[in-house]
Amino acid sequence: MTKVLLIEDDNETAGEITAELADRGFEVEWSADGLDGLAKARDLRPDAMIVDRLLPGMDGLTVIESLRKDQVRTPVLVLSALGAVDDRVRGLRMGGDDYLTKPFAIVELVARIEALLRRPPETRETTLRVGPLEIDLIERTAKRGERRIELLPREFRLLEYMMRRSDQLLTRAMLLEEVWNYKFVPATNLVDVHMGRVRHKVDGPGDTPMIQNVRGAGFILRAVS
Amino acid sequence: MPSGPVGKSDGRAGKLHLHFIRSKTFHWTAALAGLFAIFVTVLFAFVYFSIDGYLIARSDRMITTQADFFAGLPQERMISALGDHLEQDSRGVQFSGVFDANRNRLTGNIAALPDGVDVGSPARSVPLVRLDSKEAGATSVRTVARRLANGDILVVGRNVDETAEVFKVVGAALALGLLPAFCLWLLAGAWLSARARRRVEEVNLRVQRIVAGNLHERLPHRGVDEPFSRLAAIVNGMLDELETTINALAGVGNDIAHDLRTPLTRARLSLERGRTNATTLEQLQVVVDKAIAGIDQSLAIVTALLRLAEIENSRRSSAFGDVALGEMLREVCDMYEPIAEDKQIALSVDISDKLSVRGDRDLLLEAVANLVDNAIKFTPRSGRVELALLRGHGETILRVTDTGAGISDQEQEAVLRRFYRSDKIRNTPGFGLGLNLVSAIAKLHGFRLIIHPGPGGRVEIVCPDEQGGQT
Repeated sequence: MTKVLLIEDDNETAGEITAELADRGFEVEWSADGLDGLAKARDLRPDAMIVDRLLPGMDGLTVIESLRKDQVRTPVLVLSALGAVDDRVRGLRMGGDDYLTKPFAIVELVARIEALLRRPPETRETTLRVGPLEIDLIERTAKRGERRIELLPREFRLLEYMMRRSDQLLTRAMLLEEVWNYKFVPATNLVDVHMGRVRHKVDGPGDTPMIQNVRGAGFILRAVS
Repeated sequence: MPSGPVGKSDGRAGKLHLHFIRSKTFHWTAALAGLFAIFVTVLFAFVYFSIDGYLIARSDRMITTQADFFAGLPQERMISALGDHLEQDSRGVQFSGVFDANRNRLTGNIAALPDGVDVGSPARSVPLVRLDSKEAGATSVRTVARRLANGDILVVGRNVDETAEVFKVVGAALALGLLPAFCLWLLAGAWLSARARRRVEEVNLRVQRIVAGNLHERLPHRGVDEPFSRLAAIVNGMLDELETTINALAGVGNDIAHDLRTPLTRARLSLERGRTNATTLEQLQVVVDKAIAGIDQSLAIVTALLRLAEIENSRRSSAFGDVALGEMLREVCDMYEPIAEDKQIALSVDISDKLSVRGDRDLLLEAVANLVDNAIKFTPRSGRVELALLRGHGETILRVTDTGAGISDQEQEAVLRRFYRSDKIRNTPGFGLGLNLVSAIAKLHGFRLIIHPGPGGRVEIVCPDEQGGQT
C-alpha cells in the first residue's frame, strides 16, 4: 500500500486530508509537529509527504531541507497559508516538489499527490502511446488509430503532457502551471477553451471519448481501446 | 526675581504655574530677559564709568591749575586768595591748606597734612579731614601739593562728589527701567507659554476626538500666516485625505461583503432547497455541486483579495531577473488566441524590438494576461485586440489596445478601486480586481500603469530604464 506522511499541525485539516486519502486507498501517517515529522519521515520511509510550512517544533521547509541533506528523495507537497510571491519559489528551492496554497480543494490535493507518486519515468522514447492515440515527439505529429490529427504547437504541448500522465486527474491549476507555466488562475476559463479544442480534434465523431471532464475538478485522458 | 509673575499665577492655579515654568517658551523668554538685563546693566556701567572718569580728569585739571596759580602768588596774596577760594565754595567740595616744613597747619580747611601727599606729582586720591566737617573721619579727595618758595607746602583738593550723583541717577534709571521691563518680559513669557499650552491642549482635545472615530473633526486655525495656523492647516489637509481614503475603504468593505454575499446566498438557497426537495442521491449531488460552486466563487474572491494584498505589501524581490518581454507577449497571445477566436476578435502582437526588463516573470505575465483578459472581455464581437511592445523616451512600453468602449475620463480613477465595475459591464463576470492587481504588480516593479481615456481601450505598462532598463 502507498504510504503518505502528513505533517500538519491543524487537527481538522489533517483529519479531512487523512480521511480523503484513506478513502482513496492510501496508508496515511500523521504527525502534528516538525521534529516528530522529521523522525517519522526517516523511520517510515513514506512514498510521498505532505508538509505544512508553519509547524511547531521545526519549520516545514527546514524539515524538507534536512531530509534532502540526508539524500531522502521522497516527493514532497508543501502546503502553506502564505501565498507570498516569493514563498512558492522558496518552497520549491528548498526541495519541495509541489506547492499548494490554503485554502485548497481536496481533489486538488489528491490529484497533486497522485501526480507526485506517478511521476512519469524519464524515457528516450520519441513516440508516446495511450490506447489508440500516438504522438511523435520529433515529427510533432499525432494520430488516433489511422486518423491524423492536426494540432497547433500549444495543443500538441497540452496533449503531450496529458499523455505522459494518462489516467490521472489533471486539475486546471496543474495544467496551467505545467503546460503554460502560469502561476495564477486567470479570470477566464482558459484551460477549458484549450481543452475543448484538443478534445474536439482527439475525440472525433463516433470515437469513444478519451478526454474526460471531471466535474469541478479537471480532466483525465483515458486509454480506451 | 521671577517670583513676581510666578507668584501671581501660583495663587490662581498651582498646576498651571508648574506647567508654564517647565514650558520651553517660558524658558526662552526668561533667558532672553536675563540676557537683556545683563546687557543693559553693562551698558549703564560703561556710561557711569565713562562719565566718572571724565569728571575726575576735569577736576584734576582744575585743581592742578589752581595749585599752580596759588603757588605763583606772593605769600600774603596767596593766603587771602585761598580764603576767598574757600569762601566761594558753597557746596563744600574744595579743600586747601598751607603747611610749614614741620607739618603744622598755617591756613586752610584741612586738619592735617596727609601722609600720602607727594609734592609736585599729578593729582591723586588722598584721605583728607576737613576742619569744618560735621562728620568725623577722612574723605578720599583728589589732591595736588606744591612746595612754595619758602619751603611751606600748599595742598589743593577737590571732592568730586558729582560722580556719586551720577551713580545715583544711573542706578535710579536702571531700577526704574530694567526691573519693570524684566517683570514685563517674564509676564509675556508666561502668557506666551500659557497660550501655546492652551492651543496644544485644544489640538490634543480635537485629536482625541479624531482618534475616537470622529473623522469630521478638524484642528482649529485662525487663518493667519503664523506657524501654528499653517501647521494646523497642513494637518487638516492630511485629515481630509485620510477621511476620503477611510470612507473609500469602508466602501470597499461594503463591496466585498456584497460580492461575497451573492454566491454564498446562492449556495445557501441551493442547499436549503436540496435538503427539502431532493429525494435521490443524484438530485442531492446536483444541489451540492451548486453549493460548492458558490462557495468556490466566494473563496476565489477572498483569494484574489489576499493575493492583491500580498503583492501590494511585498518588496522588490531579490529573485528579479531579466524578462524577455516579446517572448512573454507571444506566450500570452498564444494562451488567449482560442478565446479571442471564439469571440471573433482579432488578437495580434506587434513587437518592434527585442526588449527586456528586470522583474518577476510570473507576475509580469500575470499582469499582461490580466490586461488581455480584460480587453477581450470588454471588446464586442468582431473587434480587435492588439498587444504591442515599443520603446518610448528612456522607457519600454507594453501596450494593450482594444476596440471596446474603453475607459472614460470619469472612470479613470474608479477603475483602480477594488471591485469597481463600470455600470455598462455590470453583467460581465469577473471580480473587478484585475486592474488593481496589474497596478500593484506595476508598482512593485517601479513601473507605471497608464490608462488612456476612451473610446477604445488603451492601457500601458511603462517600464522606465532606470528601473532595470533595456538590454
